[in-house]
Amino acid sequence: MATPTLATRTPAQSQRKYAAQKSATNIAANIAAIIVCFIMVFPVFSTLVLSFKQQVDVVRTPPQLFPCDTPTEAFNLSACRFFTEGYQRILDLAPKPGTLFGVELRGRIINTYLPNTIFYATFGALFVTVLAGAASYAFSRYEFRGKRLLLIGILAITGIPLLTNLLALYQIVVDFRKATLPLFNQLVTGGQISKDTAGTLRDWQDRIVLIFIYIGFFLPLSIWIVKGFFDAIPRELEEAAFIDGATPFQALTQVITPLAAPGLVAAFLLTFVSIWNEFITNYLIVGTSKQALRSVIVGVFDLTGSNLINYQVLAAACVLVMLPVVLVFLFARRTFFQAMVEGAVKG
Amino acid sequence: MPYVNSRKGGFLARSLPFWLLAPALLFIVFVQLYPGLYTFYLSLNNIDAGTRKYVGLQNFGRVFGGAAFRESLVHTAVFLIGFVTLTLLAGFIVALVLNRKMKLSQLYITLIFIPWVLSDVVVGYVWKLYVDPGAGLLSQFFSSPLFGLGGSPLLIASPPPQISPDIPFPPAPAMLYLICAAAWKALPFTTLLLLAALQTVPQEIVESSRIDGATSMNSFRFIILPLILPTILVALFNLTLSGMNGIGMVFSLTGGGPGSATEVLSYLLYIIGFSRLDFGQAAALSTFIFAINLILIAVSLRASRSRADLV
Repeated sequence: MATPTLATRTPAQSQRKYAAQKSATNIAANIAAIIVCFIMVFPVFSTLVLSFKQQVDVVRTPPQLFPCDTPTEAFNLSACRFFTEGYQRILDLAPKPGTLFGVELRGRIINTYLPNTIFYATFGALFVTVLAGAASYAFSRYEFRGKRLLLIGILAITGIPLLTNLLALYQIVVDFRKATLPLFNQLVTGGQISKDTAGTLRDWQDRIVLIFIYIGFFLPLSIWIVKGFFDAIPRELEEAAFIDGATPFQALTQVITPLAAPGLVAAFLLTFVSIWNEFITNYLIVGTSKQALRSVIVGVFDLTGSNLINYQVLAAACVLVMLPVVLVFLFARRTFFQAMVEGAVKG
Repeated sequence: MPYVNSRKGGFLARSLPFWLLAPALLFIVFVQLYPGLYTFYLSLNNIDAGTRKYVGLQNFGRVFGGAAFRESLVHTAVFLIGFVTLTLLAGFIVALVLNRKMKLSQLYITLIFIPWVLSDVVVGYVWKLYVDPGAGLLSQFFSSPLFGLGGSPLLIASPPPQISPDIPFPPAPAMLYLICAAAWKALPFTTLLLLAALQTVPQEIVESSRIDGATSMNSFRFIILPLILPTILVALFNLTLSGMNGIGMVFSLTGGGPGSATEVLSYLLYIIGFSRLDFGQAAALSTFIFAINLILIAVSLRASRSRADLV
């Protein structure tokens, strides 16, 4: 029998056919979704496996995913040759009596670049959250001249990448360093501070400048995200607070902020991850001239500067750098998705 | 007039919105607006050993006249076309798949989003380790005759012979890796954007059209597509913008090579500014990229009326 045409098909027939199609395509959709997940996760997974291989298994041809084959079997779980050589090279543990665990981390990625990154990301995200909270409260609750223009301007700025500003920012930082140098020299010759202290202070100056740049760069998006959360809080709550005699400032800090906490957390986490992952600013402003101020990403990039790097070492470094952000994302994924919907999809 | 009753309290309370906004705006002005203008100022000067000399538009002439600029313009175009097309198409298909009610939807979306949270540099390395001719699991796949590359170890191979010296085609295979890696990282966000748009399409209309006998193709074309077209445009401009300015992946995956085969505009900016230390020329190129960014942003804002309505 030929398939019924539009005219001859009864609504019931059509409905049944549609229902049958639907359940068949649902299975197909699940399979398709699993394939997509595989494509998206597999490169990360293979990097993880690679980081636990030894050199002999890394350079095998053709390449094998698991170093688990024996001369007779293709895969034997008990024959897997997993090693931590890559991680050992990155951590570079050395025995050091008298310390807490009796060892010292000599790998610069862990003992210098990681604390740097945590410092930049924590303080950058903290300031962004506070400033974005204040600004978006003003945008959400007040009417003032030029508000619409300012908001569109801020939305436009979220699209501007840091790249084109970096050249000028680099010049500004260099000029700033030059301008403050006489001051430090004066303090040293005057005997107020030692030469080492001056060096430390100048390093801190660079750290603070770097955090300033991050704040200015990541603020606009956070303002949009937090504003979305503020907009969702009913204004009656503040009105009730005003009737009870609260000042606008009290209403902001004691009534609204606790309610907007998810938005503020979202802005914090998003900025934290962005600064953690940021490469080009850190690389250009401090990465090449001041090694002690590098972030982990610049540290990982620097690994390949020496051509002797082995793949398992590079893979181990990548795993160490991506593990924290992936974990943060997995634990706070709801917050991330909500922030994205507020900031980018809706905004 | 302020919405809240700001007559209460003194001067500080009345000017509260100003004090709330000022710090944030100061940061934005200092980090985003002032450097933008300063870049333009630098581009009009010749900067040599700390001294600046006004040279007018000479720097622009030197940049635009250079062979490296024209070459990287083509590289950027090839990259953008490949990257945007691949990401949009793949993102759209994934969004359509995920738009169905599935028990494990949340799990799927979470897994798909993992690349989004990774740094560009790390993504570059993950792909380098993935496609590396020596150790990469995908190297076999990419060196298959399917890609017409004759099984050469692609990442280290020099670009294939050119058809004509004026047309830098076919692009070096390294470009293919760059496109794939960039699309892999950009796919999650694009998917989310399109998925959010798909979910605003009222299901009853689609269902009733299907029950009335419309094929899935027809209901897609005449009901779904027109409704989500603005979002597709927004995604298109966002991808172009991020593709124009992405640089971390070029650093870690190809380093601009082989030769200069993956030297896109953003990487050329780095080479001129920080490798050759010609700040005047780099500033001119920077201004050029900035102008393109501005155009893209303006068009994108226009494309998304819904954004403007929200303000």
